[in-house]
Amino acid sequence: MQVELETIVKTYGTKKALDIPSWVLKNGEVVGLVGSNGAGKTTFLRILLDLLRADRGKVLLNGKDIRYDSRWRARTGAFLDRSFLIEYLTIPEYLEFVGATFGFSRKQTAERLEPFTAFLPMAQLDRRRLLRDLSTGNAKKVGIVAALFAQPALVVLDEPFANLDPPSQIRLKHILADMAADPGRSMIISSHDLGHITEVCGRITLLHSGAIKQDLATSQDTLSALNAWFTNEGIASAT
Amino acid sequence: MVAAVSTYRLLARNQIRISLRGMKARQGRLVRVLIGAALVYAAFVLVTLGYFFDRFSLTLLPGVPPVEIVNQSLVATFITLFFLRFMLQKTPRMKVVPYLHLPIRRYRLVAFFQTASLLSIHNIYPLFFFIPFWLRFVVAEETAQGEWYWIGAVVLLIVGSHFTNLLVRGILKQRVGLFYLLMSFFIGIAYVDEVAGIGMQQLLSGFMFADMLSGKATSLVLLLAYSYFMIVASTFILAKSLDDPDAEHGEKLPDTRSFQVPDEWGLLGHLVRSELLLMWRNRRPRHNLYLSVFFSTVYLILMLGSGDFFGGTAFPALLGLLASGGFVLNYGQLMFGWDAAHYQALVTRNVPFRTMVRAKLIVLRTSCLLLFLLSLPLFIGLRPDLVALHTAFLFYNVGMTSILVMELATRNRQRVDVGRDGGFFNFEGFSARHWLWFIPTALPPVLFLQALHDTPDTGLTLLATVGLVSLIFTEPWTRYFARGLRIRKYTMLEGFTGHAG
Repeated sequence: MQVELETIVKTYGTKKALDIPSWVLKNGEVVGLVGSNGAGKTTFLRILLDLLRADRGKVLLNGKDIRYDSRWRARTGAFLDRSFLIEYLTIPEYLEFVGATFGFSRKQTAERLEPFTAFLPMAQLDRRRLLRDLSTGNAKKVGIVAALFAQPALVVLDEPFANLDPPSQIRLKHILADMAADPGRSMIISSHDLGHITEVCGRITLLHSGAIKQDLATSQDTLSALNAWFTNEGIASAT
Repeated sequence: MVAAVSTYRLLARNQIRISLRGMKARQGRLVRVLIGAALVYAAFVLVTLGYFFDRFSLTLLPGVPPVEIVNQSLVATFITLFFLRFMLQKTPRMKVVPYLHLPIRRYRLVAFFQTASLLSIHNIYPLFFFIPFWLRFVVAEETAQGEWYWIGAVVLLIVGSHFTNLLVRGILKQRVGLFYLLMSFFIGIAYVDEVAGIGMQQLLSGFMFADMLSGKATSLVLLLAYSYFMIVASTFILAKSLDDPDAEHGEKLPDTRSFQVPDEWGLLGHLVRSELLLMWRNRRPRHNLYLSVFFSTVYLILMLGSGDFFGGTAFPALLGLLASGGFVLNYGQLMFGWDAAHYQALVTRNVPFRTMVRAKLIVLRTSCLLLFLLSLPLFIGLRPDLVALHTAFLFYNVGMTSILVMELATRNRQRVDVGRDGGFFNFEGFSARHWLWFIPTALPPVLFLQALHDTPDTGLTLLATVGLVSLIFTEPWTRYFARGLRIRKYTMLEGFTGHAG
């Protein structure tokens, strides 16, 4: 799925939270969104998912304005935070619900979840817990799987590696890499973990104070370049 | 460790701050003013009822002295209040937990929060009735010793009922089903006692309080012993629950028994299921459910059993509206607000607004039918002349009330914390619109029937027809509500999530 942001501007009072003249995610591309706290990453993703109205500009998915054509929702999987979970459901109930939004039967949902069983907290005890009683890490795993298991054409994830234990981070990296191999799928992943993000994504968009400062294809030097940028930014903000 | 007085002062200051800030955060200024006015009004009504009880007793039981009427009803009143407390009042355990890691002695924490829990509306409001009643009828007519015994016993009943609730809640935390079984058993006994005309509880109540008024202390000592036992036992249970890790663990594994919907029902079936689970697994919506069932059963028995006391057309019409539409009016008005915490999950997924509205209408309308069936035997048994009214209101509530409430619900913009209790004056999620909406929702059918009181059959037929016609137009209504939700999507999200839109 192709995503285009055209002259997007979002301000809160006098503070400009986002100002993006143009940004394109091509079909099959995997982009990492990086930036310090308050750089505008979450605002970017919320506008992209039509959860927030931009003051100016529009978001096009496959050329269609998301505000007037909601068909993109049937082809998108997203997880930004715990509010994407229905906290009073159990894991199986929630995933069945998400499956139903894609038109899957219970059996189809179970089949599609098969590849994710090692990643999900599916111990007998966890299956009986309501989502609100899961730890932050386990709840995040459920949210991520809910965004991925239907194999949507567009995946949007906010900080997927945060709060996960190391084995789960490694598993997630493999899952994302496998999914990224599908040329029909586009992915946007925001993260503070520069190591993981440069491994998974083919392109990095760096946001700073609501504006795109760098937008480069990932190479061997990307990680060190980002490290250098954030080190300098840290020094600049400290002085 | 901090000294006792300083500890209690610190805790008191903190609790006051939490209460004030909590209220400010949950409710707007207008709603706070309205709540304040409602509190003053309710207090005024109770004071008036207490002070002028002789005038009310003349209507209820002419010729019987007010003190005798109240004496006979005291035990039953406090048992009823106890059930109400159980549904609405929480134990102070969750208030103690955040302080456990601080260098404060645990017994002081327990003592403070047990004492502070007495500052509940359930304990304060009964006094608005009993003190004026006592001053006017007991002090004026009874012996000095008897009058003090009497008011002392009332206070002990309030305290005893308060701590009984804390004890029972503490013990039955994981066995709520058992409690409701016991509750049904007691209500059954009380009902049989009443219907069979034995009047055991009236006799007991009347005897105990008459005994105290005559200056004998036996009943008072018994009540004192009962209240003391409840204070000690509930304090012990609270202190034990803080030590017991299983209690914490147990809370995290609630009853998650569920039910499946056939795959053929698709997303609509899952949305209906999700709405039912929301209602059942979260405290506040569950309270709405209980209160609606309570109204359509226990309260209805009292109202329908009052004979011609509530004559005319308006009051039966209001009963008809609430008997089958109580849940729609109670729960329905906060719909979408109930979903605030996960509304983002719904609007970013392939959940068409139309399907969302359809699922909610199914739940609301089914509730009308179920409450109708639940209360039908009561109408048949106690007021067969009102069965036609009850049936007409079923159609009206299914067709029209559900639509009017949905119109209000699709404009909700305030987050509702479904985990909080639905106690009295918890108006989180309410705005001025909710208060004003009562006028177009409840008044038209009542006024309509009042206007046609000379030809009641015509009035009821027309009322049912309005509901039926509206029911036929469900699809256009659904499209209309879906369009509204689409238009107001960002403002609703802004209100629900707190993120500026």
